[in-house]
Amino acid sequence: MGIRIGDKAFDRRVEKGLQDSFMRGAVTGAQDRLRTGRLNAAKELGDWEKWRTLGKEIRQHTLENLDFYLQQLSEKVANRGGYVFFAETAAEANQYIRQVVQEKQAKKVIKSKSMVTEEIGMNEMLEDDGCQVIESDLGEYILQVDDQDPPSHIVAPALHKNKSQIRDVFREKKGYQKSERPEEITRFAREQLRREFLSADIGVTGCNFAVAESGSISLVTNEGNARLVSSLPKTQIAVMGMERIVPTWEELDVMVSLLCRSAVGQKLTSYVTGLTGPKGEGEVDGPDEFHLVIVDNGRSNILGTEFEEALHCIRCAACINVCPVYSHIGGHAYGSIYPGPIGAVLTPLLDGYENNKELPYASSLCAACTEACPVKIPLHELLIKHRQKIVEEEKRTEALERIAMKGFEAAASNPSLYKVGSKVAPLAMSPFTKEGYVTEGPGPLKAWTRSRDFPAPEKERFRDWYRKRKKGGGEHGQGHDS
Amino acid sequence: MKVSLFVTCLADLFYPEVGKDTVELLEGLGCEVDFPAAQTCCGQPAFNSGYHKESKEVAKHMVETFEGADYVVVPSGSCATMLKEYAKLFVDDPAWQERARALGEKTYELTQFIVHVLEKEDVGAVFHARATYHTSCHMTRLLGAREEPLKLLNQVEGLQLTPLSHCYDCCGFGGTFSVKMDSISREMVDAKVNHIEETDAEVLIGADAGCLMNIGGRLKRQGKPVKVMHIAQVLNHKQEG
Amino acid sequence: MGKGTIHNRDAFLHRIADRLGRNRRTDGVKRPEWSQRPQWNVFKDYTSEQLLDQFKKQCEAIHTDVEETTGELLPKMVSDVILRYRGKKIMTWNDPRFESFGILSYLNKNLSQHGAEVQRWDEQRSREENIRLAEKADVGITFSDITLAESGTVVLLSDKGKGRSVSLLPENYIAIIPKSTLVPRMTQAAQEIHRRIENGDSVASCVNFISGPSNSADIEMSLVVGVHGPVRVTYIIVTDR
Repeated sequence: MGIRIGDKAFDRRVEKGLQDSFMRGAVTGAQDRLRTGRLNAAKELGDWEKWRTLGKEIRQHTLENLDFYLQQLSEKVANRGGYVFFAETAAEANQYIRQVVQEKQAKKVIKSKSMVTEEIGMNEMLEDDGCQVIESDLGEYILQVDDQDPPSHIVAPALHKNKSQIRDVFREKKGYQKSERPEEITRFAREQLRREFLSADIGVTGCNFAVAESGSISLVTNEGNARLVSSLPKTQIAVMGMERIVPTWEELDVMVSLLCRSAVGQKLTSYVTGLTGPKGEGEVDGPDEFHLVIVDNGRSNILGTEFEEALHCIRCAACINVCPVYSHIGGHAYGSIYPGPIGAVLTPLLDGYENNKELPYASSLCAACTEACPVKIPLHELLIKHRQKIVEEEKRTEALERIAMKGFEAAASNPSLYKVGSKVAPLAMSPFTKEGYVTEGPGPLKAWTRSRDFPAPEKERFRDWYRKRKKGGGEHGQGHDS
Repeated sequence: MKVSLFVTCLADLFYPEVGKDTVELLEGLGCEVDFPAAQTCCGQPAFNSGYHKESKEVAKHMVETFEGADYVVVPSGSCATMLKEYAKLFVDDPAWQERARALGEKTYELTQFIVHVLEKEDVGAVFHARATYHTSCHMTRLLGAREEPLKLLNQVEGLQLTPLSHCYDCCGFGGTFSVKMDSISREMVDAKVNHIEETDAEVLIGADAGCLMNIGGRLKRQGKPVKVMHIAQVLNHKQEG
Repeated sequence: MGKGTIHNRDAFLHRIADRLGRNRRTDGVKRPEWSQRPQWNVFKDYTSEQLLDQFKKQCEAIHTDVEETTGELLPKMVSDVILRYRGKKIMTWNDPRFESFGILSYLNKNLSQHGAEVQRWDEQRSREENIRLAEKADVGITFSDITLAESGTVVLLSDKGKGRSVSLLPENYIAIIPKSTLVPRMTQAAQEIHRRIENGDSVASCVNFISGPSNSADIEMSLVVGVHGPVRVTYIIVTDR
């Protein structure tokens, strides 16, 4: 799949999202529930701002010393008999995974949820090689059965689908006979997938946080599929983005506490699993062989730049769950496996501006994302920084906009020009004005007046009133004359 | 107390009555209100669009314009925030950064100024209406002015305030966002309009002309009878009507 | 256990150091003193009774039944819960605590009349056979090694006789919780694991923090209890141990 999903242009994707009324209803309802859950969990915990500060400090320290902690992690994993592979690119990561699959002569790989394996397109690669890859997270499984429909949310990937759509997909593809009740659909998926767990040759997991001090990886789930993936197959491959690491178990506690509350409003998810190397001496289940693939894939280019904080992200989706833009256009409109505010920040960094130049503008800069982020990533500021880059370095904005902004600069930094311009504005607008409002405006007002009226500029500006009043009454005001 | 008014370009050009009410309100509370006429715009349209070189020039002009002021009062949470953020534009220029920081420190959004500097909550306003209040995003999240407008509105005689459901959701204005992404912006403002209608309010009150222009423009287009008012207009309303 | 391997590390980590604008750090990095420690304030100074109350309250939220008993009555309680689940095939850890409480002999004696049989996870048996038995079992039983009051969590440390599958594959899961294992939250468990690592002890290959039955909200955000792991969970608290 890779980071990019769909091949339509941004405007078309947005239009499709806006017209999908079920999706929008589902997203709005989910956002309401998730927002309430998160706020309640934070309130119950108390000291939420202290937690956020601590979370930010931990992320910052870890990223500043990332080379050290990754070295420590890799040594500890190797000491426990694990194999560590550092992959600079998606291709390198895939090549290594392919090699393990071939060595094991694996025919079936079972996965728990992992965004980074989506990012590197691991499934397609393995399937092209003739290896069956099965997603075991319920949401991911639904999407996979529905001809690889892409995820629209990083925590709840099938958020855009309703239960009758899901029932129909299972009926058509899997011979499902029962109703659209989520309980029955889930039961069916349990039975289908249990067989796969028991017969899979290799389990592939992601990694929520690695712990440097012990060479552990942690998996945070509710369904129990990640436990099955890491308990039953004889070989486990864990794939992690290189920034997903904490120094010790003490920081793991803090990050997991923030993650569970921010993602789903839970104190802890049903399962938080810390895995260290392959199964221990004399142990029976768990993998005989453990591989850890640490993926860069463009992340190091973000280090040391003004965007570094984007790497602090713990993939909780709190920003997505409060974003009013996401709520109307849905995840697919972003054209990336990382949607919402963090997606709009991260996707251009990992995939370039060329195909993602609209994303930084898909935000009203309302800062709901920044406020929700458990590690205080200033998301809306990073979106502005992208815009700045697009203007100054990429020079990708339209000529008309550049001229308008030059004009704005000239007018707004030069009072006489501003005064003349604002004085003639009512005159300039008068052909478009009806009863004090513009209903079909020229230039940039055209877009505005497609759905809104625009107030016509007043003939008497505030400054005119103020000057007259001062001259007339004179008892107040020390204003300069205009 | 002497205050310098930064009226904002929107109020200057499109909503002069907001400026007038702000002046009268502050005067009524014992302030001497100065209007430095060289003022223009805070520069936010350029800044938020990524034109930082351009916004720097605007910022310098505004810093100079208000250099002599004791307090700068702004009837807009968003523009007040912008003034407070100027210092970030000058990370490579310590001298200007210091001047920008000084401006930021003495800048107040109108309701914050009344509640925290003038230490008044009851401004003696009378306004008989069913109303709801729109909490603007920059004003609440970036400036932190959450309680101040409500403290003031709660003291207005005759005003019945109904809470606005999903008040935390952006109205879809976002400056250039409203024209760059107008189809998304329209859906956002429609959601806002729906929530406003649910309150059965006759009047929508806000503290940011940008949001009010957006919501008001949509209400007007749809022919909805809800009246849109800036909080300064409500607080300066003294008799029945 | 053989040592594993590391590939491509140096170029990878050098690149990171380059981007960070400094030489590579291979040692000497210490965690700073964090400015905040809010995790230590949760249930600070609570008595074990208060922790138990919090624990029980949280279990309601996570769809988990709670029973309380004494060490003496524990075998019967375990048996009762099994019968409530109509368990026919039971699988337990091979953990000396089962014998020391006399659970195994009681179950063997008492459950056979109900047509139920008890299997133990057995490191002498093959992996396939153990997994097959656990998969066929309808009740899995383990002890809790550390128990977290805040989240209603049992912490299981894997070991030879303490297979991962016992708490995972059967539809019903029973965790036996000596009250002495109760701590406020994950913080204390994490600190204990950290302390052991600092002392040079090795951490269990699998540390599971389990909070109730498996669940999912992937279909229309509606909560379904029981997905890939256990569908029903009972915690039995041993109040005098």
